[in-house]
Amino acid sequence: MNSTTLRAAAHDASQRNLERLRPLLERLTTAVAAGDAAEFEHLLDDLVHARRKDLFAELRRLTSQVRTALESFQCDARLTDLAEKEVPDARQRLQHVLKLTDDAAHQTMDLIERCGPLVDMLVTGPGKRPVGAKEAAAAVVSLRRNLSEMHLAQGYQDLTGQIIRGVITLVDEVESALSGLLRLVGDAVPAAPARTSAPNTGYGPVVPGVDHGAAVQSQQDVDALLSGLGL
Amino acid sequence: MSKDLRFLVVDDYSTMRRIIKNLLQDLGYANIAEADDGKTALPMLQTGNYDFVVTDWNMPVMPGLDLLKAIRADGKLKGLPVLMVTAEAKREQIVEAVQAGVSGYVVKPFTAEVLKQKLEKILQTRAAAAG
Repeated sequence: MNSTTLRAAAHDASQRNLERLRPLLERLTTAVAAGDAAEFEHLLDDLVHARRKDLFAELRRLTSQVRTALESFQCDARLTDLAEKEVPDARQRLQHVLKLTDDAAHQTMDLIERCGPLVDMLVTGPGKRPVGAKEAAAAVVSLRRNLSEMHLAQGYQDLTGQIIRGVITLVDEVESALSGLLRLVGDAVPAAPARTSAPNTGYGPVVPGVDHGAAVQSQQDVDALLSGLGL
Repeated sequence: MSKDLRFLVVDDYSTMRRIIKNLLQDLGYANIAEADDGKTALPMLQTGNYDFVVTDWNMPVMPGLDLLKAIRADGKLKGLPVLMVTAEAKREQIVEAVQAGVSGYVVKPFTAEVLKQKLEKILQTRAAAAG
């Protein structure tokens, strides 16, 4: 609210006060003219009381405005922080999660592929001859080492889990900051049209508890549907 | 069944491409190339060097459904078998893929046996149609 509007609002309020208090003032004048001291005192008390009531109402209104402005400022500051720093950070953190899961999956597959020839050698022997005891022992040691490394490669889950939990906390915070902002602006912002999904790009995997509706539960369901469609 | 079939595996995740490639190798197929989305896959297919497409649906730039439609709309490629291997599991999507001309549909996560069955079924159907 700028100073000109504030001045205009104050002027209107004074006019309204004058109209409201006019009958009281007229009775006061009459009491003075009639020399009725008791009535004069009584009306004067009424006038002071009315004035005080106005003052309190105005004070309440101002307090409420100040509180709203403060809330709005805090909300804006938090949202700015979230939008400028924490959301981009979260994006980078999730990119790192992608990298960690990708690395771990490839590392595990590397190890599995290294095990394949060792198992083949144990079963069919190196070349055409049967496998010797020493060779077999060495192959088993290598297999054991590969299995241990596969075990270790699963450590990514701890790291990615921690990062994802952090991002979930951030999403909670963004949600509450946005809700706060919506509460403050109320109906001032027109509703945006509902986002329509683009099925061409797909919805991604079904997430239990989030995705509802007509999704198949298993390959058997898919096969039943396909055969119903003649495939 | 000929093991000389030339496969193109299309998926934006290198791990999934690797899983499918390994499964195909276990089935005896050695000629397998990879692409990370439909836009990369389409020019590769247009060279005429592939006999079978295994594609994901949800990919950036050009999703699998668009790739399928492009294949079916291309005079030279329209007969190519396309097996969709995807996490997309909504009934309406499966119906849409069938309408677009998909040859088989496998939902992730899947087993080696399911991939093998689908592949064999597609190849048998084609052999019967050709024979």
